[in-house]
Amino acid sequence: MAESIAAVEIRNLVKEFKTSFRRKPLRAVDDVSIRIMPGEVYGLIGPNGSGKSTTMKALLGLVAPSAGQCSIFGRDSMKVDSRDEVGFLPENPYFYKHLSGAETLRFYGKLCGLGGRELEDRVTELLTLVDLEGARDRRLGGYSKGMLQRIGLAQALVQEPRLVILDEPTAGVDPLGSRQIRDLILKLRDQGITVFLCSHLLEQVQEVCDRVGIIFRGKLVREGKLEDLIAIEDQSEIVLRDASPELLHQIRALVESTPGASVVRTGKPRTTLERLFLREISEDEP
Amino acid sequence: MSNVVHISPKGSHFMRIWVIAAHTFTQLVRMKVFYFLAVFAVIAIASNFFDLPQHEGPEAVGANVLRSIKSWSLGAMTLFSVVLSVVATALLLPKDAEDRTLYTILAKPVPRFDYLAGKLLGVLLLVFVSLALMDALMTGVLHVRTNMVVAQQVEMATAMGWPADAVASLRAETLASGPNASLQGAVFAVFLRASIMASLALLISTFSSSTLFTTVVSFLIYFIGHFQADARNIYLQAGEAGEGLFARVASLALSLVMPDFQLFNVIDAVIEGQALPLVSLAKLTLVGMYYAVFFTFASWFIFADKEF
Amino acid sequence: MKGWFKILLLTLAMLVFGAMRLPYEAALFKSLREAGLFPPELGIGTRDKIGQTSSAVALGGLRTLVATFLNLRAFTYFTEQRWNDVEETYNTIVDLAPRTRYYWDTGSWHMAYNAASYYINDSKLPPLRRREAWRMSIIKGRAFLERGIRNNPDDWGLLASLGFLLSDSNKYPAFRDANASFAAAAEAYRKAADTGKAPGYVQRSAFYALARVVGREAEALALARKLYGEGPINRTPTMKALLFVLEAWENPKMDLKARAIEIYGTPENAYEALSVHWSRVRDGFPVHGVSAVIPLLEEQLSISKENSVLNRPLPPPGGPDEWFR
Repeated sequence: MAESIAAVEIRNLVKEFKTSFRRKPLRAVDDVSIRIMPGEVYGLIGPNGSGKSTTMKALLGLVAPSAGQCSIFGRDSMKVDSRDEVGFLPENPYFYKHLSGAETLRFYGKLCGLGGRELEDRVTELLTLVDLEGARDRRLGGYSKGMLQRIGLAQALVQEPRLVILDEPTAGVDPLGSRQIRDLILKLRDQGITVFLCSHLLEQVQEVCDRVGIIFRGKLVREGKLEDLIAIEDQSEIVLRDASPELLHQIRALVESTPGASVVRTGKPRTTLERLFLREISEDEP
Repeated sequence: MSNVVHISPKGSHFMRIWVIAAHTFTQLVRMKVFYFLAVFAVIAIASNFFDLPQHEGPEAVGANVLRSIKSWSLGAMTLFSVVLSVVATALLLPKDAEDRTLYTILAKPVPRFDYLAGKLLGVLLLVFVSLALMDALMTGVLHVRTNMVVAQQVEMATAMGWPADAVASLRAETLASGPNASLQGAVFAVFLRASIMASLALLISTFSSSTLFTTVVSFLIYFIGHFQADARNIYLQAGEAGEGLFARVASLALSLVMPDFQLFNVIDAVIEGQALPLVSLAKLTLVGMYYAVFFTFASWFIFADKEF
Repeated sequence: MKGWFKILLLTLAMLVFGAMRLPYEAALFKSLREAGLFPPELGIGTRDKIGQTSSAVALGGLRTLVATFLNLRAFTYFTEQRWNDVEETYNTIVDLAPRTRYYWDTGSWHMAYNAASYYINDSKLPPLRRREAWRMSIIKGRAFLERGIRNNPDDWGLLASLGFLLSDSNKYPAFRDANASFAAAAEAYRKAADTGKAPGYVQRSAFYALARVVGREAEALALARKLYGEGPINRTPTMKALLFVLEAWENPKMDLKARAIEIYGTPENAYEALSVHWSRVRDGFPVHGVSAVIPLLEEQLSISKENSVLNRPLPPPGGPDEWFR
């Protein structure tokens, strides 16, 4: 029965922001529906300002939907108890600089009703998980960007939530730190935790997500399994190594002599997701 | 449903409010707010040397110093408590929102009321502890100094041949201007006023867009609040004084919306040696709590569906 | 829409909240005033009062501190003999701290004593103007004290200060009617004694002032007998002299000498004390029967006529007539 309850259920979400008195309200999210099943890693991709963060905030009850509904494990996002089983890492988080790593986790743990031995054990466990035991008693004011992001992740996990929401988890983090965070996400997936992340960095989404949604100007323009989305049914790709210009010329001639077939493009291979993304938004352009 | 609920958000409001309050307290302490206490210690000790060469007999010896210690100490407490209440409250909320730490807190199963109440309680806790420490320091200095002054006066009066009953009366009068229960009551009144200011600043900061705005408006209300009683009197006596309709409506609006801070001017009277009856203090406490609770709920009313 | 509705609702709640607390606050304000925690309502118009005390009100909790500073400043003005500034500063100080006896006392002392003495010796002004300035200073000092008493009706110290000022031999000539001045002094001392907190000398001072009021001798005599009967602490030389004088006023035919000796114990003591009383011209005490009893005592003590205190020149009156010649 638990299987039938989606970890995340966003139905026809619309969010409008008032800009000024007379002007038309800004529609940040336009009729978005997303359903994420337990255990999935879902990536929402889109450029800055496309409505990713607003969608996540609506899911967490930080903004109220203008229309539509959000729920987490069947519980309405506008209700406090929907946040029992969710951990959230906002974009570019600053935590309280005056607290040490351990104190930060303790604070969030207590907010979730943890305490005593149980909480202490959990704090140690999480610090080990995010590889920050060494910085346990250092104040967050002295943490690097990557460390902050990792303590943020640990904070999101403090009450062992079944769903973790990550907003741009690697923004502004160097490649090494970025890799550490990616490994952590994979570790979460192995533990069966549902992950909902959003990013404008396509490579990252591609590496960890089971399913992705593409959001642009507030609309969910495409959604599906990663392989399905990347595969373009009417096209084939041949990736060659050390092909001479002559060989390429021959292949092109062969294709052109075949009726119905055509060469779409030649050149160096690109990140497929990025290509997909660019195609999707160009189709959508008014 | 087979959903396992690990933690229930219900039933532990107090716990959560306390966690946020304790954290806010720590935060302010680590912002080095308590350094002010060192300044206060200097003030309390320096106020000991505020004696002028004056006329008159034994009754004037040192009486100035005792009043000076009280004036300086309670003045410093007033400034510290009001400024801290307003600035800390005005600062903490927008800071949390700007740094997005607010997201991480509200993304936990924390009702928004708990968050607000916790912040307010944290600020008040800090003000209370600071005032208690300052009070202890003031009482200590005053105690030592009062005994010195009494000894001086008795010696001088005896040398001048005052009859025993006059000496005893002088002694009693001087001791009364030393540390006493009314003085502690005045310090508590300082705290009450700070509580009103903090909850007021909380309310303003829930719809204000900047710390500066909150601070300025809070202090403006603080200032105007001292004249609320006058507006109320004008309204209540409008019939006799023959004020126009406009004056009546304006004074009524002012007295309904503005808090009455003039009530807390009893602090000045206590410094001047008046006794503060326990009943009056209890009534003042009721006033303070009435405001603080109303403002907190009003803040929550605004904050409940605020978007970030 | 919803936002507007919320603001409307909050405003409404605020007004209801205000209406609910208004009567409570008004009552509390009144009870605090009755408990002496606010200055009593003065007999001046509301408008004047707001103008006068608005700064004081807004300084809630800091008023006595500011008063302390102003007192320092006033002291500087005093040492620089800037009397108008002293007066102005004390007017502000007492607005800030109306409950502190010290400020009322010191302010009036600066006016009635320091400024007044200064004008006696101020060589820059012609005598008539000096005299007027002297008189005005004392009148201001008195008015200031009386204001302080209205603010602190239970304070024996201020009442005693007023009594002292009004019966001071150097001050009462400033008031048009010396008799009224002594009566007012007696009244002030009496009120001070009635508070029950004043030391014993205040009651005697009330009597000394009353004894000087022409027309109220009977009342004074009754008080003298009462105080005299209360025990040796009240039997000061002045008290003894006045008891004798008032009894002589009541019954000029009594055996003056016998009564004087009875009061003082020996003829020597009686003669010495009454001689002193005779020469205290400037204090304005009554002297009924003194000039009659002194020759009788001299006769008994064999003091020659030439050495009689009655033939010695009296000390100069020393009052304003002499100072402002």
